[in-house]
Amino acid sequence: MDYTFQFGELLPYSDLIARGVLSTVILAIVTTVLGCLLGTLGAAARAGKQTFLSRAVGVYVELIRNTPFIVQLFFIFFGLPTIGIKLTAGEAGLLAMVINLAAYSTEIIRAGIESIPKGQLEAARTLGLSRTQTFTRVVLPPALEKIYPALTSQCIIVMLGSAVLSQISVEELTFAANFIQSRNFLSFEVYMVITVIYLLLAILMRQGFKLIHYFMFPNLRARS
Amino acid sequence: MMSVFKSCLKFVGLIGLCITALSANANQLDEITKRGMLVVAVPQDFPPFGSVGSDLQPVGYDVDTAAYLAESLGVKLELVPVTSANRIPYLQTRKVDLVISSMGKNPERERVIDFSRAYAPFFLGVFGSSDAAVASAADLAGKTVGVTRGSVEDLELSKLAPEDAVIRRFEDNSTTISAYLSGQVELIATGNLVAAKIAEKGNSRGLKSKFIIKNSPCYVGTHKGDTELLTKVNELIVAGLTSGKLDELSMKWFNAELPAELKL
Amino acid sequence: MSVFSDWDILRNLLLAARWTVVLSLIAFAGGATVGLLLTMMQVSGRTLLVRFTRLYIELFQGTPLLMQLFLVFFGLSLMGLEVSAWFAAALALTLFSSAYLTEIWRGCIESIPRGQWEASRCLGLSYFEIMRHIILPQALKVAIAPTVGFSVQIVKGTALASIIGFVELTKAGTMLNNATFEPFKVFGMVALLYFLLCYPLSVASRKLERKLNVAR
Repeated sequence: MDYTFQFGELLPYSDLIARGVLSTVILAIVTTVLGCLLGTLGAAARAGKQTFLSRAVGVYVELIRNTPFIVQLFFIFFGLPTIGIKLTAGEAGLLAMVINLAAYSTEIIRAGIESIPKGQLEAARTLGLSRTQTFTRVVLPPALEKIYPALTSQCIIVMLGSAVLSQISVEELTFAANFIQSRNFLSFEVYMVITVIYLLLAILMRQGFKLIHYFMFPNLRARS
Repeated sequence: MMSVFKSCLKFVGLIGLCITALSANANQLDEITKRGMLVVAVPQDFPPFGSVGSDLQPVGYDVDTAAYLAESLGVKLELVPVTSANRIPYLQTRKVDLVISSMGKNPERERVIDFSRAYAPFFLGVFGSSDAAVASAADLAGKTVGVTRGSVEDLELSKLAPEDAVIRRFEDNSTTISAYLSGQVELIATGNLVAAKIAEKGNSRGLKSKFIIKNSPCYVGTHKGDTELLTKVNELIVAGLTSGKLDELSMKWFNAELPAELKL
Repeated sequence: MSVFSDWDILRNLLLAARWTVVLSLIAFAGGATVGLLLTMMQVSGRTLLVRFTRLYIELFQGTPLLMQLFLVFFGLSLMGLEVSAWFAAALALTLFSSAYLTEIWRGCIESIPRGQWEASRCLGLSYFEIMRHIILPQALKVAIAPTVGFSVQIVKGTALASIIGFVELTKAGTMLNNATFEPFKVFGMVALLYFLLCYPLSVASRKLERKLNVAR
């Protein structure tokens, strides 16, 4: 191997990398919050009776889950302006991430809801709780607890997927990698360092979710 | 189980060593003649230098230049489509013998690869719709300019543009051009000949030259230290310029003869 | 410039979709082979092997597929190994999918109640006999649905190979968009073709799962 690694050459770009990390983190947080909220709404629609809304949500979920993220991204960024909807690169990227996570979390949360025994629902209704109350107080908490690991893994997958946003000039972590690579041509060193940063972000995110879990399900904690 | 794993690793390492040894010792020109094949990186998203025909095969001035070199060397040609961003890594990692990809020369690049003499003209400029009021780099303040990451345009513009100009860097030329055509950026920095091609499209919003950044002719790139190959390529370019072969290609793709200073 | 009719666009996309299919199949075969090996290591109970698999899964599930592709593509070359975009894409996707498949399959094997292990031990069966005759036949059944489901992720993952210059469906899409500049139409068609590839797999996975649940 006649190649010497020059990791030191990356130091002048630490600012750029830091900014990339910040963007990726912000994108991940906003996507996680919005995606899970929309997913909960979508799951509520899907779990109910077969209405137009539940079918529309079903079609949306299938469309998103069965096409690659990068194609969705290109469609939003390049395709939508031709019919008059123009979004900046950042908006397009965020939108693509949110609709992606929303589709997956709809399916995941729905599976959680369906695993709740029907008897609990009936019991809650008999006790005089309204439909909304039954959903938010009786069905949703144990459902979320059940699918929490799956949901959080999906959030991490979507965060890692944001690497593709660099393709439409969003200045996140991979953009920083590509940018540095185009300036000093040290492709391997750059991608190595950035990959390690992604790994750290993923680990950090998982720990963060564990912390949230601890605070979100206090009752369940007491019981177990 | 672990011993199997270890021996596998050793085996992979051994292959690695053999290949390194091969590529390190051989003279690349001999290597090309021996395998009977010239592998060239060409653009496919940068008309008229390189774009795709209706069968998705690359066509253009760079492609024809590559064909001319292969023919003169008496070997077959293999084209590898690359982007502005990955063409130098391709050369560094010896995935290709030559880069003929409308590539400009600058000190950063000269540190990592070698350049031939110029084979095609290229005037870098900023282009935009006819109603955009831009006449110099200073006017870019507050404007959004699209550029292909890692291109000479990118490097030059990054130096010239005022602080509050927004430079949007895209992965390859096709994304940059698409970003302009779909209205995602107001202006683009690219070559004059490329801009002329874009202006032919229906939704180019009357693409016009705003100002020229730099005369940055195109060079053939070779792996650092491939001296024999570089000398041969230079000979062939000079031959092509004197025989009128390159002029012929220029007429075909640029609708003009090559400028006189290129032939000096 | 407008040498492309709608039929030209579709024809080129269909031709490129072949490579998406081939790459998906290779990645699936590779991922399944490596994944099987890793699953065996994971359930072997040997500390070192289990730790190695955990690290492997952590690495490949914790980093973007795009980065893995870049590292394989440019990294192997620096080590002196000649890698084509083909090979790099196939290798990176193999590594990526094996990590996920291992995770899925381990879950399936562990879903078989511990009691069965103990019962089999009492009957005097060896580790491999228990695996071969008791655990695997049941685990295999459980594994089919999620495995088919994951194959959708592999097909979609191949789209990223476009970024290192491998001409498959997505790359053909960007090339055609560049040549025709009809992004709405081109990327719409690209999305549709992916949907046609992936949706049957999704439906099959769901049907299999339902069938299995009824059978139990």
